[in-house]
Amino acid sequence: MIIIKPKTEFVVTVEAELTPDLAEKDVEEIKKFKVYYGKDVVELGELFEVTKEGDDKRLVLDGDFSRVKWIGCRMSDGEIVVKGSVGANCGAYMAGGKIVIEGDADDWLGAEMKDGEIVVKGDAANLVGCAYYGDATGMSGGKITIEGNAGNYIGEKMAGGEIEIKGNAGDFIGTEMKGGTIIIHGNCGFVGGDMKAGEIKIGGEFELVPTFVKQEDAWVGDVNVKGEGVVRKL
Amino acid sequence: MHHALHIKNGIVIDPKNGVKAEKMDIFVKDGKIVEESEVKGEDVKVIDASNKLVVAGGVDMHAHIAGSKINTGRTMRPEEMRVVRNIANKFRAAVGRVLLTSPAIGYEYAKMGYTSSFEAAQPPIGALHTHEELDAIPMIDKAALPVFGNWHFVFKYVEAKDIEKLKTFIAWALERTKGFGVKVVNPGGVEAWMYGGNVKSLDDQVPSFNVTPREIITSLIKAVEELKLNHSVHIHCNRLGVPGNYETTIETIKLAGGFSNDARQVLHVTHVQFNAYAGDSWRTVSSGAEEIAKTVNSMDNVTIDMGQPIFGHATAMTGDAPFQFTLHRLTGARWSNKDSEVEGGAGIVPLVYLPKNPVHALQWAIGLELGLLIDSDKVVLTTDYPNGGPFTEYPYIMAMLMSKKMREGELEKVSPYVQKASNLPAIDTEKALEEVIHMTRSLPARILGLPQKGHLGVGADADIAIYNLNPLEIDTSNDFEKVYKAFKTAEYTIKSGRILVKNGELVDEHWGKTYWVDATGKVDMEAIKPDLEDYFKYYSVELQNYGVEERWLKKPERIVI
Ligand SMILES: [Zn+2]
Repeated sequence: MIIIKPKTEFVVTVEAELTPDLAEKDVEEIKKFKVYYGKDVVELGELFEVTKEGDDKRLVLDGDFSRVKWIGCRMSDGEIVVKGSVGANCGAYMAGGKIVIEGDADDWLGAEMKDGEIVVKGDAANLVGCAYYGDATGMSGGKITIEGNAGNYIGEKMAGGEIEIKGNAGDFIGTEMKGGTIIIHGNCGFVGGDMKAGEIKIGGEFELVPTFVKQEDAWVGDVNVKGEGVVRKL
Repeated sequence: MHHALHIKNGIVIDPKNGVKAEKMDIFVKDGKIVEESEVKGEDVKVIDASNKLVVAGGVDMHAHIAGSKINTGRTMRPEEMRVVRNIANKFRAAVGRVLLTSPAIGYEYAKMGYTSSFEAAQPPIGALHTHEELDAIPMIDKAALPVFGNWHFVFKYVEAKDIEKLKTFIAWALERTKGFGVKVVNPGGVEAWMYGGNVKSLDDQVPSFNVTPREIITSLIKAVEELKLNHSVHIHCNRLGVPGNYETTIETIKLAGGFSNDARQVLHVTHVQFNAYAGDSWRTVSSGAEEIAKTVNSMDNVTIDMGQPIFGHATAMTGDAPFQFTLHRLTGARWSNKDSEVEGGAGIVPLVYLPKNPVHALQWAIGLELGLLIDSDKVVLTTDYPNGGPFTEYPYIMAMLMSKKMREGELEKVSPYVQKASNLPAIDTEKALEEVIHMTRSLPARILGLPQKGHLGVGADADIAIYNLNPLEIDTSNDFEKVYKAFKTAEYTIKSGRILVKNGELVDEHWGKTYWVDATGKVDMEAIKPDLEDYFKYYSVELQNYGVEERWLKKPERIVI
């Protein structure tokens, strides 16, 4: 296990693709890991204190990481625990392992993730499990759980896996969704635009785009794209 | 900085001047190639080119490098902009997968030893945008070909059979757009697209005008030849991307029959691969390359370029708006339509060429067939960037044309459909290094009508590439990997006498010229004034606000006819 602590409050954002793989290296090597601080390439050790306890594949990020982007990007196994909040793109393209965020998560949480698990104890911002602009497929596997609320654009172009939001969410839920499940326990805004397949379950109030057909216990659409997506009450 | 260079002991191939792999020295002064005596007493920088190939800088006569199409492509394809190309060193950021940013275009050409590139379809009303973007491309010399084949003025003068006014209009348009020559894209077809249609043959009538594609093409050839422009009519044929279109292409090529020019072709047919399909549907499609090659080889006044697809990402962007819509319907990929008022239109659709896709593999095979079967003095190497893929893969095409062994290896990786639908597997031809140098330098320069480009004779522009390849030793049939690697990254690229690339690294940034052709002295500009004033009521801009002033360009180079 390695513990990484910010040395200062960051003036500009840091881009650091920190994964549990780092924990297999020795401390001096970890400190030399290259990250971006604004436009400059610097060594991890210049911005963070790094300590190592044992050899398990575990990263503990102790402090405020809300200005640190790309944490857990492309990780495939092991665990990351963030004691505070994280910046954008956390868990992007993730293929396995687990990320636990005790604070809040910024935009693009788990974007295009393929497998593994992300748990957010606080809130998440926009674009959870989405496809990056221009790409055809968002989240395709794994699970994202958000204990608090989430913003707009949840699971856009999502093709598999599950997103569960315990609180409320914003607009544009499951836009162009192709598979997988989104569960929202609270309220949300517009749901299902251009949805082709998959399922969205909502506990509270929501607004459905008008191009869904009411069936017994669910709505099916979006008929605009000959979709067979299912939206139902939780 | 040195004013003079002495490139010593290189092995020179210079097809225009009959130099076939000879050890000789090249001297440069003030941006030009000079006699040795001219550099005596100068502060001369000596470049040791021992055992290396020395050739003229590459000339790309057909690519889409600036203007509203490529920019719309960039806007609608954010995924193209995630690749950072670490080639710019201390210069500007260079970004893009296949759709590159303007600086990246210049840097990549220079890295490959290319020193000139022509934007092949400038919407006239978008001329200012095109020139702003050309001015953002460093390293190379540039020019733009405005499109004429669907312009209402052209229809009007062709309909009236008034060649004098057509000539005057061409001169006016080239001056206003700071254009270099006459490009024609699917003549009449883009006008038909304004009504949701297209033309299906050279003899279809264009909606609302009493003209046909055949009449548009022949009238434009006549006008261009009478004006004696540097470059001939440069045509993207009707029925592009339609199985069975090779017959239309052959008919179009034959329209050049009645014309002649001592210096060059009278018709250049572009990215012919996209217009060389036999069969009557995508299920029965096959290669029409052999028939086209026979026709081109039998004529002495027509040239073509390949439009070779490269497997991987590409973006289709042409002034052929109806074709772009068809492509969008065929692939389901994103589509953007562009309208340029009474001048024509365009469309943009993302594309991936997959080796295992039978149609893509066939397109790839047809491009190579054209390159191999057509006389090396009549076919130029292009990918129609970014329609067929990146220009950075020209070295792949060069190596493929020279090696049957390389082609056999590549054929194993592609759909077996090409075995029955094309003749590529049976072609034994291996082009010589000298021929491929001609197809990428001296030939495009001659076709464009630029006597100072594409060769290393005294008086030529000092645009020079040096490659880590000894033509006296290399076995191009077997050492294709070495050939590919050598042409990918030049040892030296020299532009206007300045060293821009050294050992494959960019070491200097240079701003090239933008050529434009001024033929206004050959016509009576007053003759079309009332027509212009009358027709501009259909434009969204006033006549006096239309066009680009020379002083707005960074480094304009006016060629007076
Ligand atoms: Zn083109």
